[in-house]
Amino acid sequence: MVTKTETASPATPPRAGLTYRPNVDVRDRGTEVVLVADMPGANAATIDVTFEDGVLSLHGAVAPRAFTARVIRQEYGIGDYRRSLRLGDGFDGARIDADYRQGVLTIRVPRLAAVLPRKVEVRAG
Amino acid sequence: MPAYRTGFALPLDELRDEIDRLWTTLVTAPPLHGWGQRSEESVFPAVNLRETDEAFTVEAELPGISVNDVDISVSGDSLVLKGARRAVDTAADCVAASGADRPVEAPASEKVVWLLRERGSGAFERRLKLPVAVDSLRVEARLVDGVLTVVCPKLAACQPRKVEVRGG
Repeated sequence: MVTKTETASPATPPRAGLTYRPNVDVRDRGTEVVLVADMPGANAATIDVTFEDGVLSLHGAVAPRAFTARVIRQEYGIGDYRRSLRLGDGFDGARIDADYRQGVLTIRVPRLAAVLPRKVEVRAG
Repeated sequence: MPAYRTGFALPLDELRDEIDRLWTTLVTAPPLHGWGQRSEESVFPAVNLRETDEAFTVEAELPGISVNDVDISVSGDSLVLKGARRAVDTAADCVAASGADRPVEAPASEKVVWLLRERGSGAFERRLKLPVAVDSLRVEARLVDGVLTVVCPKLAACQPRKVEVRGG
């Protein structure tokens, strides 16, 4: 689903200044959680990713575009992207990696080594 | 003759269909137009269309789709956008789909555990009728940060022209 959902009033016609909730895929790989968000028209320099108290928040500022042309058809709005997801505890916020390409933001949130399954060696006496 | 009345035993079939449908939503990526919408009502990609005296500008959001996966054709007053977005089934694909160039150490047999799956995939085709014919030789398109912009200059004959009135 690539259709954007307005987080303000859905009845409001699309216009600049609104915030949009990007569609995301979230996948658990065991050692990390990978989040992929559709954020077309954003800019790597203006995307903020924060991780605090187990909540991953992303915000992408999208500059309003100035058009002098007449609008014939307006099917989607242009505005900032904002979304928060609760991932829970056991993640290493310091090693979060984010990459923005082709309008898609990919965030990899690694789990803390201490919470990963570990095989314990038994020492011989 | 069936041993049950139509409409009596059928709810079990409906339940099975419903379970199949739910299972499908869990194991496959959503279609590009999203779940919960009938395909005949689907519109992908959404477009914004603007007009100046000289040209039409069509903008469409195509996140995660590379230049090679979009096909644009123009003829007269019709513009067709065609393409596809691959389904992402592994974490390696997640990173590959976003174009990251770092090596991914995902094992081939890795289990897919989806926590959320909202991004659609599959083929799309959008046909747009422009108000007047455009000059197909001068149509230009570019895809930047997942936003496709197609500039279609109008044919000279279709552009507004100021007519001089000659004095008698």
